[in-house]
Amino acid sequence: MSSEIQPSAAANAPQGIDVGRLEKELAANWRNAGDGAESSVTRVCVLNLIIYAAPGEDRAKMDELLDVVTEHAPGRTLVLIADRGAAEARLEAHVSTRCQTASRGAAKQVCGEQVTIEAGGAAVDTAASAIEPLVVPDVPVFLWWKDIPHEEDKLFNRLVELSDRVVIDSLVFDRPHEDLKRLAQIIGARRQYMLASDLNWGRLTSWRNLIASFWDVADYRPHLDAIDEVLVEYDPPDVASGQIAAHALLLVGWLAAELKWQPTGDFVREENNSRWVLLSGERKINVEFRPAADRQGCDGLIATLTLKTSATGAEFYVGINEGWTKLETSARIGDARAVGRVVSYEAKSEGERLSRELSMLSRDEVYERAVASVGQLIEALQKS
Amino acid sequence: MENPLRAGVRLERTAEPCVVVIFGATGDLTKRKLVPALYRLVQERLVPAEFAIVGAARTELSSEEFRANMKEAVAQFSEAKTVDEEVWESFAQGLHYLKVDIGTSADYVNLVAKLDQIDRERGTQGNRVFYLSTAPTLYAEAVRQLGQSGLAKPKEGQKGWVRVIIEKPFGSDLASAQALNRDIHQHLDESQIYRIDHYLGKETVQNLLVFRFANGIYEPLWNRQYIDHVQITNAETVGVEGRGGYYEKAGVVRDMLQNHVFQVLSLVAMEPPASLNSESVRDEKIKAMTAVRPFTPERIRAECVRGQYGAGSINGKQVPGYREEEGVAPDSATETFAMLTMYFDNWRWSGVPFYIRSGKRLAKRVTEIAIQFKDAPHKLFGSEMMEQMTPNQLIIRVQPDEGITMRVAAKVPGQVTRIRDVNMDFRYGASFGVQLAEAYERLLLDCILGDPTLYARTDMTERGWEIVMPILEEWASTKAEAPFPNYEAGTWGPQATHDLLEQAGRRWRRP
Ligand SMILES: NC(=O)c1ccc[n+]([C@@H]2O[C@H](COP(=O)([O-])OP(=O)(O)OC[C@H]3O[C@@H](n4cnc5c(N)ncnc54)[C@H](OP(=O)(O)O)[C@@H]3O)[C@@H](O)[C@H]2O)c1
Repeated sequence: MSSEIQPSAAANAPQGIDVGRLEKELAANWRNAGDGAESSVTRVCVLNLIIYAAPGEDRAKMDELLDVVTEHAPGRTLVLIADRGAAEARLEAHVSTRCQTASRGAAKQVCGEQVTIEAGGAAVDTAASAIEPLVVPDVPVFLWWKDIPHEEDKLFNRLVELSDRVVIDSLVFDRPHEDLKRLAQIIGARRQYMLASDLNWGRLTSWRNLIASFWDVADYRPHLDAIDEVLVEYDPPDVASGQIAAHALLLVGWLAAELKWQPTGDFVREENNSRWVLLSGERKINVEFRPAADRQGCDGLIATLTLKTSATGAEFYVGINEGWTKLETSARIGDARAVGRVVSYEAKSEGERLSRELSMLSRDEVYERAVASVGQLIEALQKS
Repeated sequence: MENPLRAGVRLERTAEPCVVVIFGATGDLTKRKLVPALYRLVQERLVPAEFAIVGAARTELSSEEFRANMKEAVAQFSEAKTVDEEVWESFAQGLHYLKVDIGTSADYVNLVAKLDQIDRERGTQGNRVFYLSTAPTLYAEAVRQLGQSGLAKPKEGQKGWVRVIIEKPFGSDLASAQALNRDIHQHLDESQIYRIDHYLGKETVQNLLVFRFANGIYEPLWNRQYIDHVQITNAETVGVEGRGGYYEKAGVVRDMLQNHVFQVLSLVAMEPPASLNSESVRDEKIKAMTAVRPFTPERIRAECVRGQYGAGSINGKQVPGYREEEGVAPDSATETFAMLTMYFDNWRWSGVPFYIRSGKRLAKRVTEIAIQFKDAPHKLFGSEMMEQMTPNQLIIRVQPDEGITMRVAAKVPGQVTRIRDVNMDFRYGASFGVQLAEAYERLLLDCILGDPTLYARTDMTERGWEIVMPILEEWASTKAEAPFPNYEAGTWGPQATHDLLEQAGRRWRRP
C-alpha cells in the first residue's frame, strides 16, 4: 500500500479562513491526482472526520493512522491543531489529499482529502466556525476528540453540536475515576443530541464477546444469575497509579449495568486492591480489582477476568497471555467438565479501531449504560 | 433463557454449541474451503468454545493424521498462510476423524457413539450439522443412513437441532432433482435442508438486495417502463481443469446456469419482499422464476445459442480446445457455453428480454449484471453531439472487483455541446479497503445459526431444472447438428450470440 500526501500552499488568513480558496485547491489536487497517472483515482466520500488535537501531537503517527482510516472510510478529514496556550491569536489552514493504493485491486487508488487548521490562543474558541463551512454536506460528521472532554469547554460543545458522533479514548484519561464520572455526566446531559464512541470500549469488544459467549450455552446460563465473585486484574495506568484503569472499570460497569447489580456504599481498599460490594436482590457480589504486573505496551488494559458462583461452584475465566497475543477462556462447573480454548488476539492498530468506530451510526446504549454505571460506582466510592 | 450480556450493537451474533460432521473429509473441498472456513469462524469467535468437527470418509486415518493434514491445509489455503501453534492446538482438540463408508450402516453406529462422546466431553448439546461433501450420487444414501441411524432427528427428549448441508450439483435434471428431494424429505424436514449455492454467499450478490431495496431511487425505475433489457454475463477463463469426465455429462447449463446464474437472475427480477426473513425472500425469488416464459423448441432455435470452445489463447497463453481436454470425447457435443434469452411474463418485466450467457474459456473472468435503460424519450441533442453516447447503463459486478458502475451522459467541456458517456464507479475494493469474507465462511455460519436465506429451497432447485429441461432435451436430440467447436478460446463466445442481439438492435457489453 502506498500513500502520498500532496500538500498545497498554505492559505494564510489572519482574519479567518478563505473557504472558497481551500475548496478550489482541493479540486485542483483531484485533477492533478487523476492526470497522467496510469490508474484512475476513485474519490469516495463517506464521512467527515474532525480531529481535535494538541500541538504536541505526533503528526507522523497521525498520518499513518489516517492512511488506515482512508482505506476503510474515505472522506474529508478536518484536523484542528489547537494551541490553547499561545499568546497570539492565530488561524491557518492548508489542504492535502491522501491516496491509498487499494490492497487488492492494485492499480486503483482510494483517495480522501484533508484540511489542516492550526489555531492558537483566542482563535481556538472560534475555530469551530471555520470548520463548519468546510464540512461536506449529506455525509455524517464524526468528531475525534483527542483529549479529555470537559463540559464547560466552548470549542468541545460547538464541535459536538456540529457532529453526529463523538469519539474519545478513555484510555488516555489521566485521572480515570474523576474523568469517567465527568464523562457519565456529559453523556447524560447531552443524550438528546450526542452519540458517543470510546476507543477504549472498542478494546473491550473481544473480551465482552468471549464473556458473553459463556451464557449462549444453555447449560451454563443459570450460573449467570448466581455470580457472587468477580476478579479483574489489570495493568495499572502509569499516569494515574493508585486509580483503577478505565478499561477495568468499564468492564465491570458493563456487567453491573446489564446484570442489574446495584452499587452499595461498601468499598474497601487493601494495599493496591480495591473491593466493592454490589447487590442483586439479596445476592451480594464481591468485585475485586487487582493491579497485575506492569507490562510493556499494555498500560491501563485488563489482563484477566474471573467470575465465580459459590452456590453452584462454577468458574468462568478469560485471560490474555504473557505476550498479549492470545486470549484463553475456560469454564468449569464443580469438578465436572472444563471446556476452554485459545484464540488469537490481534492487537488492532489505532487506525483500525478508529475505523470501526467510524462505521457506527447508531446509539451505543450498552456503552452509555456502562459509563453511567461506572459513574455510580465512583460516586459510591467517593462517598465511602 | 435470554443472555442479557448479548445486548447492544457491537457483539456479533454467535452460534450455539454444535458438531459439524463432514462427509468427504479427505476430499478437495474439505481442505481447500471447509476446514479453513471453520478455522476462521473459531478464530473470529463466531462459534463458541463448545464446538467440534468430525471428518468422515472411507480412508483409514487416525484423528492425529487428520489433524496434521488439516493443519497443512489451513496453512496453505487460509489467507494468513500460517497457523499459530497454540491456537491450532486448541482448535485441533475439537477436530476428530472417523472412518465412515456412507453405504455401510455399521459405520453409523460408531458415528453415533462418537457424537455422544463429543457431546459429553465438549458440551456440544446434541446440535449437529452434516456436510455432504462427496459425490452427488451419495447424497440420498447418506441422508437415508442418517435417518435410519436416528441421526437425522434430535435425540428423544433433547432440544438439539440437526441440519444437513448438500453440495452442488443438486440432481442432473428435473427428474433426478425431484427424486433426490423426495428421498431426502423422507428423513428430513425442509427446514433442516441447506442446499449450498456458493454464489449466494458472495458479498455483491447479497448487496443486490440492499442495492435494490435500501435505495429508494432505483426501485421506481426497475421495470419495463425504463429498462430496455438486462444482460447477465458469467464468464470463466478456465477450462475443465481435469474434471473432463464430470463435465462431459454436465455441460454449462447444468453446471452454472440452472443454479448460480438463476439465483442471481431471481434477485434481479424479484418483487420487494415484505421482510428480510428467509421465507419472504425465497418466496419472492420463486415467484419471479415461476413467471419465466417456458422455452419451446422454436424459441430455443431462435433465441438460444450453445457453444463449445476450440483451441485459442487466454491471457496470451495457448490453450487446447475442449475436445482435446483429458476425459473429453474427441467428438464431444457437450456445451461449454450457452446463451439464453429469457422473459418474465409478469407486470414488471413484460417484454423486457434478459440475455444470459455463461461459458468456459472466455476472454475474461467476470460475473456481472448490466441493466440497460431505455433511450431518453426525446432526442434533444443531435446525432453529431451524441456520437459517443449510449443509453444509461447500470452495471453490478459480482466478481472479481465487486462494484457498481452507472454510465451517464455528460457534456464535454468546450464552446460546443458534445456529449460523452462517463462512468460513475463504486468499487468495494476501492471504497472500503477491507477484505470481503469468504463465501463458505458466511454460508457455514448461517447454517449453524439456522438462517437458510442464502441457501436454495426445494422449489427453487426444481424450478431451475424445469426451466432448462426443454433446452437440455432439444440440444440432446440435435447433438449431431451442433456446429462444435464454434468459438475460439479467449473470445466472447459464438458469433451467433452477437448476431442475435444485433438483430434486435442491441449489443453485448464488453465487460
Ligand atoms: N472442489 C471444489 O472446489 C467444489 C466446488 C463446488 C462443489 N463441489 C462439490 O463438493 C463435493 C465434494 O467435492 P470434492 O472436490 O471435495 O470431491 P473429492 O475431492 O472427490 O472428494 C470426495 C470425498 O468423498 C469421499 N467419499 C467417496 N466415497 C465415499 C463413501 N462411499 N463414503 C464416504 N466417503 C466417501 C472421499 O473420501 P474417501 O475416498 O476417503 O472415502 C472424498 O473425501 C462434490 O459434490 C462437488 O460437486 C466441489
